[in-house]
Amino acid sequence: MIQLKNFSLITPYAEMFWQGTLVTIFLALFTVVIGFCLALILALMRMSNLRPLRFLGIDADGHQREQGTLAVLSRFNPLAFIATAYVEIIRSTPVLVQIFIIYYGVFGIIDLPSFQLFGFIRFERFFPGVVALGMNSGAYLCEIIRSGIQSIDSGQTEAARSLGLSQGQNMRYIILPQAIKNILPAIANEFVVIIKESAVTYTIGVQDIMSAVNVVKGSAYVIVEPLLVATAIYFCLCFPTSKIIAYIERRMSRGDRR
Amino acid sequence: MIRVTDLKKYYKGGAIKALDGVTVDINKGDVIAVIGPSGSGKSTFLRSLNLLEEPTGGSIVFQGTDITRKKYKDADGKTVKLNIDELRQKMGMVFQHFNLFPHKTILENMTLAPMKVKGISKEEAERKAMELLKRVGLEDRADSYPIQLSGGQKQRVAIVRALAMEPEVMLFDEPTSALDPEMVGEVLDVMRELAEEGMTMVVVTHEMGFAREVGNRLLFMADGRLLEQGDPKELFDHPQHPRLQDFLSKVL
Repeated sequence: MIQLKNFSLITPYAEMFWQGTLVTIFLALFTVVIGFCLALILALMRMSNLRPLRFLGIDADGHQREQGTLAVLSRFNPLAFIATAYVEIIRSTPVLVQIFIIYYGVFGIIDLPSFQLFGFIRFERFFPGVVALGMNSGAYLCEIIRSGIQSIDSGQTEAARSLGLSQGQNMRYIILPQAIKNILPAIANEFVVIIKESAVTYTIGVQDIMSAVNVVKGSAYVIVEPLLVATAIYFCLCFPTSKIIAYIERRMSRGDRR
Repeated sequence: MIRVTDLKKYYKGGAIKALDGVTVDINKGDVIAVIGPSGSGKSTFLRSLNLLEEPTGGSIVFQGTDITRKKYKDADGKTVKLNIDELRQKMGMVFQHFNLFPHKTILENMTLAPMKVKGISKEEAERKAMELLKRVGLEDRADSYPIQLSGGQKQRVAIVRALAMEPEVMLFDEPTSALDPEMVGEVLDVMRELAEEGMTMVVVTHEMGFAREVGNRLLFMADGRLLEQGDPKELFDHPQHPRLQDFLSKVL
């Protein structure tokens, strides 16, 4: 039963909700930065053309083999294989499981220094949370970036290369600026998704909004009211963010029609 | 300048022969028009010259170097890796669909490669770009974006963008095929001017008038082979090969 007086029971914990909100925001920001860097690397790996066994595909006359085991082997691209495997594994397993594996598995072996960031963020819990969420969103962002890059007309690459630009310069000056503009809405959307998904990190003791809810539940014996407060906070974070994104998106596409 | 010998481009292990043994010499100052029915391999031939298509066989010797080989021996007998980017700087290319960079202004389109590839200063690159734009009458569009230009204007920009790299040969891949009819003239005029200045040009085209009047040589391709070549007027007036006779009867 929702009772107005129960909300007054929460007021002593206002500071905790405020700090939890900040933790959630930092978590999402760090995650999106790590996720984007990881995604860019993964996307470039998936699109790379490194084939160490290429020589197996050339027959004795110097012609390209078209079929058979050797032809298949010659097309093997280890970088693309690793990146694809990573993306598929991450996308096919729950984020909660990934967080537990990172927290108990990886950082059970690596000892993190125990200190507080800004006086209220416990680093040894915050950091594994960021790593796990970053690795997760990296896989999703990778697919977004890859589709963005592949959506650019191949004529752009041909023009750039015919002017003498190298593969790397073409990526940097021609393809990525156009691709990122196209995929910015999707990346920003991923940012909103991460804000919401970061709620699961309270399970490893990150003191975000959800952990504040749990503290109130345990000490004041009310559950629905703090959840409603958390709902309001998440909404206030996500709704304006997506509106701002939509605004920027309109501004940028207006630039196209100048 | 460019010696093409027995150039081959096969797909699917030889099932599709886009180029089937093309041999031609391109000399300095040549203006070569390449004509032929669609699917005859003219574009593939042109795109092979700067290795946008990797040939399956044969050789392309450009300034003494066989560019179809990944490695070659230099004058001292040392093995050097082929620097494809260095080679492409010397070959300007103009595409059917212009391929201007939409996120950059006209001026930026023109200065990017000279600055990043040749290392020319921004002022110098812009000065040269403005000079070239003036030549094609587009100096007032320097700060526009490609989307604001008409097709003919875009293609003129694409031509001077390639010229900004000071290439030794210009390759044109059906430069007027995507244009509205009333804009074809302005692009052809620029190309004609370029030819008169002595630029070496290879032009894949469907503009028979241009091929006949401006070119000093004509190549006729069909089925990936070079079936006839020679003086344009001679070929147009007295075609020898039945395929060329057939082709000309359809297009003229």
